[in-house]
Amino acid sequence: MKKYEAVIILNPNLSSKVDTFKKDFEDLLKQNSFSINKTEDIGRRQLSYSINNHNKGHYIIFSIEGNPVNLINIENKIKYNDSIIRHLFISVKNHQGEDSQLMIDSKNKKDDSEAEPPVIKDKEKDVLSNNKQNVTDVTNSDNESTVELKQKSEENHENE
Amino acid sequence: MSKFEIPKNFDYKNVNILKQFITETGKIIPARVTGISASNQRKLTRYIKIARFLALIPYTDMHK
Repeated sequence: MKKYEAVIILNPNLSSKVDTFKKDFEDLLKQNSFSINKTEDIGRRQLSYSINNHNKGHYIIFSIEGNPVNLINIENKIKYNDSIIRHLFISVKNHQGEDSQLMIDSKNKKDDSEAEPPVIKDKEKDVLSNNKQNVTDVTNSDNESTVELKQKSEENHENE
Repeated sequence: MSKFEIPKNFDYKNVNILKQFITETGKIIPARVTGISASNQRKLTRYIKIARFLALIPYTDMHK
């Protein structure tokens, strides 16, 4: 028995069919005598780069446990499923009981959008369609540290 | 180098932590610059590569 995390990125256009997919996948796992410890439905997320011309993806993370031999059967089934744009099985030492950071982030985002009055939501849609702007905003705030880093590395070169 | 502290437990899902350790162009910053321990750098590298594959962080800034 080995513990795994299965990350699956679904086609964002099929977001409404997520529940049926989850059931199908859970059935597939049970057929291969895998047990499911936790499912995290992270929801639609901006992809850092486009995969098969999709700019968004619906992320789901399953914490599963089972026999490595059967994992190949699962992977073979998943490989030819058109609704999955990317998947990854990672072996882990222990499953984390708490929500992952991705889940927390997506929950916070949902809370923000719910807190705002519905009038602004239409505007939000416009913003969402220009998602690239959002991404640059996020990266800008993080870039500060890298800029400082660059300065430091330049200093190092001077010292050398 | 208190700026580059990383928590005891982190993985590929902590995107904000991983983003500190890549440049604007998406390269992994060497440990000699950030000053983190060798074992943490090995973990970080592994997780960054997983996160790149899952499109959580970019490989490069040249993605269209």
